[in-house]
Amino acid sequence: MISAGKAIPVRKAIVPARGSSLIALGAIVLLAILISPTASDGSRIFLQIGNLTDILRQISLIGIISLAMTYVILTGGIDLSVGSVLALSTALTAMGLTRAWQGSAYSAHVFYAIAAAVAASTIAGALNGVVIATLGIQPFVVTLASMIGVRGLAKWLSGNANIDIGFGQDVAAAFASVFREKAIVIGSYVLLAAAFWLVLSRTVFGRHVRAIGDNEKAAQYAGLPIRRTKIRVYSLSGLLSGFAGVLYAAENHQGNPNAGVAYELDAIAAVVIGGTRLSGGKGSISGTVIGTLIMGVLTNLLRLNNVDSNVEMMIKAVIIVLAVAVQRESNAD
Amino acid sequence: MRIERSLRGWAALLIAAVGLGSCSSGSGVSDKKQFFVAFSQANNAEPYRAAQNALMARLFDQYPDVKLVISDAQQDNSRQVAQVETFIRQKPDLLIVAPNERAALTAVMGQATEAKIPVICLERDILQPNYTTYVHSDNVAIGRLAGQFIADQLQKKYGKPQGNVVAMRGLLGVEGEINRAAGAKEVFDRNPRIKLVAEPVADWIQARAKDRMTEVLRAQPVIDAVYGHNDPMAVGAYLAAKELGRDKEMIFIGVDGLGGAAGGIKKVMDGILAATFVYPLCVEKAVEIGNRILRERQFQPEKEYVIAPAMVTPENAADFYRKLTVPGE
Repeated sequence: MISAGKAIPVRKAIVPARGSSLIALGAIVLLAILISPTASDGSRIFLQIGNLTDILRQISLIGIISLAMTYVILTGGIDLSVGSVLALSTALTAMGLTRAWQGSAYSAHVFYAIAAAVAASTIAGALNGVVIATLGIQPFVVTLASMIGVRGLAKWLSGNANIDIGFGQDVAAAFASVFREKAIVIGSYVLLAAAFWLVLSRTVFGRHVRAIGDNEKAAQYAGLPIRRTKIRVYSLSGLLSGFAGVLYAAENHQGNPNAGVAYELDAIAAVVIGGTRLSGGKGSISGTVIGTLIMGVLTNLLRLNNVDSNVEMMIKAVIIVLAVAVQRESNAD
Repeated sequence: MRIERSLRGWAALLIAAVGLGSCSSGSGVSDKKQFFVAFSQANNAEPYRAAQNALMARLFDQYPDVKLVISDAQQDNSRQVAQVETFIRQKPDLLIVAPNERAALTAVMGQATEAKIPVICLERDILQPNYTTYVHSDNVAIGRLAGQFIADQLQKKYGKPQGNVVAMRGLLGVEGEINRAAGAKEVFDRNPRIKLVAEPVADWIQARAKDRMTEVLRAQPVIDAVYGHNDPMAVGAYLAAKELGRDKEMIFIGVDGLGGAAGGIKKVMDGILAATFVYPLCVEKAVEIGNRILRERQFQPEKEYVIAPAMVTPENAADFYRKLTVPGE
């Protein structure tokens, strides 16, 4: 949190941060093109449409979660429960499809299952928000607790077992075949990103989100609805994690109470690489999308070139620190 | 000014990364004379998986025209799907997949077979036969062997098959856990005087098994045998019994039978385990079949190869140790 006395014009500070992460993305894409292995017809594998859409689909789940994570971090908070909420949602989706609402029409059945899973996830997020906003306990502690508790709930509901979404002719299989389509997954991510960008940059709610993280005391004196804003932000985080869980269930043909372990860390990394300050107040959705893309393209680049997976982790560590360091430097003046 | 500075930073990064890229691109996949074999491993963390990787690398090392790449999905379904997708883009001459979970990998392995890439499914099965061949072992058979071994030992001890047995269970809901338990249960059900007095769950982990066994030891005055669904859990149970001075009272049986100093076979040689059952790595067969797929145009592999489990006792442990210990492990 910056001190109230040091007034930094917000716009001016954000643009170069985004600029430099865009340059980083450009550099990594360029590198990926340059060192891409070639297919038998001489074309670069990296540039194949199939590969490019692979990347987009692979980053979509973390990408969706990190949109709401950006809001949460902008308010000066953190949400560690997103992976567990995703797991809960996969389990509820699969249970809804295979064990409830038998006999209803396919489309209605799919709708109920998704609605139940997303609603439960949103409630989990709202609970985080209520506890944080009313009891004033640190978000790290509250969401750490719900990370543990919601994981337990998901395992308890599913009896520790995966709930299979088969490949048969039933409604569950029909659901999976639709919601695992690249177009649906990538399309959802793009639409949600656009919506979250609009809300943050064009609405009063968006301004409140930034203001609270920038200086909560000042926001309080200005009479901003701090409590309500925080509850909404954590609810959104639950909602998006829940929706990501629906996509996970379709992609993996199962409800999996063990899904999403450490996803919170990937989402936080994407947000931070995108130039959002971990202490809140400063950052952007476009930065987060760029941060997500950087990690996705980097992963693809390393794998296409068969870089050892342990080396991959080390390189990613360096990239994360470098990305943040470069942005700090460009923010400094 | 700002842009310049950030450019400088990213230029440094770029140079570092190109350096890295050139290290790996020396052995690129476009080289026609080489066979490119991709192995998507479910995780590198379990000793069993690490042993599979080591053995596969050693076996393919004997063929200089084969380039093997192993990816680690870190027990994450989505990560493994992504890794297999990337492999498909690279059009390997052979794809070997050890699926993390059945349902999650089924569709993407279907994409691989559709792309006319020969696919070997290793050890864990998937929901549809989206593979060229499936190399695996049989956990029910292992369970039966273990159960029978325990029944035989109790027969020796009491003159008839009777006694108190503790089953130390792995992660619930996993195929290996279910079937290793089921196979032994068949034998115990045929011998009603063998009683399963406790079935604690230790999630395959030695430290957890020691804690769970300590509780069981407090509650059960007489225990004749502990059947660990893997070797580390059997060893954990042994450590708990030893701590309470009761390790001579019972025998400990494990499953997995890995080589190497940390593996279960060494524990049999050391007299800690009465027996272990080798859950085969399945790698030797996979490499043999894989090589024939690469080199013999006409070769049509069977749809399935089942590798028989083997029993390791103090009598034959040294032989198995030599055979199953991968150098450099």
